[in-house]
Amino acid sequence: MNSALRLVIPVLVTCVVAAAGLSVTYSVTEPMIAEQDRLAEERSLQAVLPDARFTCLESTRIQDDVDAAAGSVDVLDTFYGMKDGVHAGWALKVSSRGYGGPMVIVIGLDTSGSVTGVTILSHNETPGLGTKVITETGFLEQFSGLGSGFDDGDVRSLDAVSGSTKSSNGVRNAVAGAGRVFAEVLGELDVSGLEGGSQ
Amino acid sequence: MSEWVRVFRQGLSIENPLTVLMIGLCATLAVSTQFQNALFMGLAVIFVMMMSNVLVSAFRNFIPSQVRIPIFIVVIASFVTIVDLVMKAYVPSVYSVLGIWIPLIVVNCAILGRAEAFAYQNKVGLSIADGLGMGMGYMMVIVLLAFIRELLGTGKIVWFESTLLSLPAGYAPPSLLLLFPGAFLVFAFMIVGARWINERFEARKEGPACRV
Repeated sequence: MNSALRLVIPVLVTCVVAAAGLSVTYSVTEPMIAEQDRLAEERSLQAVLPDARFTCLESTRIQDDVDAAAGSVDVLDTFYGMKDGVHAGWALKVSSRGYGGPMVIVIGLDTSGSVTGVTILSHNETPGLGTKVITETGFLEQFSGLGSGFDDGDVRSLDAVSGSTKSSNGVRNAVAGAGRVFAEVLGELDVSGLEGGSQ
Repeated sequence: MSEWVRVFRQGLSIENPLTVLMIGLCATLAVSTQFQNALFMGLAVIFVMMMSNVLVSAFRNFIPSQVRIPIFIVVIASFVTIVDLVMKAYVPSVYSVLGIWIPLIVVNCAILGRAEAFAYQNKVGLSIADGLGMGMGYMMVIVLLAFIRELLGTGKIVWFESTLLSLPAGYAPPSLLLLFPGAFLVFAFMIVGARWINERFEARKEGPACRV
C-alpha cells in the first residue's frame, strides 16, 4: 500500500499542477483566440462581398435543406449580407476536402446567385504546392466569372492550378456546392422576412 | 562553467538531435517546407525542451523511476499545449500552417529522449545547457533545411507574405523539393555536411564523434 502511494502521489501532483497551469494559460489566451478567429472570418466575408453587414442564418429547417443540397461538401455557416438596409447577397462558409485535410472556403453570392468572390479561410495544404490555389493570380478570381444559374459543369470547366490538382478540386467542389445550395434553397427563400432582423 | 559550454556545444554539433542522433525526424521533414514555419517550429521546440529539461531535472529526486515516463509526458504535453495556445492567439497565420505538428511535439522523441537521457540524471544548470544546445541544434538544422527547400523548391523565401529573397526569373523550381522525397534528399546532404564539419572541427577536441 505504502509503495503504491509513493508512485501515485508524484503522478497526481504533476497532473494537478499541469492542469492548473494549463487552465490559467487557456483563460488568458481564449478571448484572443476567439477574437483572431472572428477577425479572420470577418476579413474573408468582407473580401467576398465588400461593404456588406453579415448575419448568420440560424434556422435548423433551412440547414437541413442546405446540407441535402450541398452533397459532398459541408456548409458550416450561411450568412446573408445587407448593404444600406437592402439584401445584397449571401456568403457561405464551406468545408471541402483538399489534399491535406479539410479546407474552409468562403464563397460570396449576389442575390441572383452569381459568384462575387471566393476566399480560403483555413487549410492544411502543402506550402508552395497546394497553397498555389491561394497565391496563383487568376485562380480564385476566375470563379467570380460564374454567372447566375451556374451548375457543376460550369465549375468543372474552369482551370485548375497545375501541381495542386487536389487543392484546386477542393475549391471547385466547394463553389459547385455553394451553387447547388443557392439553386435549391437560398434562391427560393423569402428574403423579406430576413431583412427585418438584420441590423 | 566549461562543463556547461561543453554540454551546450554537444547539442549543436556532435550530438545534434537531427543530423547525428536522428531523433524527432518526422515533424522536421514535414514542416521544413517554409523558412518561416521552420523558424517558429524551432522556437517551439527550444521552449518545450528547455522547460521540460528544467522541471524534470529540478524534481528528479522526487520522481520515482517506475512512473517517470508518464510524468515526463504530462510535463512535456503541458508545455506543448501552452505553446499551442499562445501561437494560436498571437501568430494565427503561422499556426494555421503548422497545425497538427505543434501538438505532435509531445511525441517528438528528441524531447522525451533528453528528459530521460540527460535531465533525469543531471543538475538543473547542465540540463538547461542541454535543452538550449539541443533545441538550438534542432532549430539550426530545421531552419537551414527549410531555407534550402523553399528557396530551391519555390524560387523565393517568403516571410509573412513579403518576399525576402528570390532567384532569377528564369529559374524553374522543381516541386520535388517541397514533397517528402525532397526532404529526404536535402536532409541526406545535410547529414554529410554535418559529419564533415564535426570531424574537422569537433572530433579532435572532444574525442570520438559517435558516443550514443
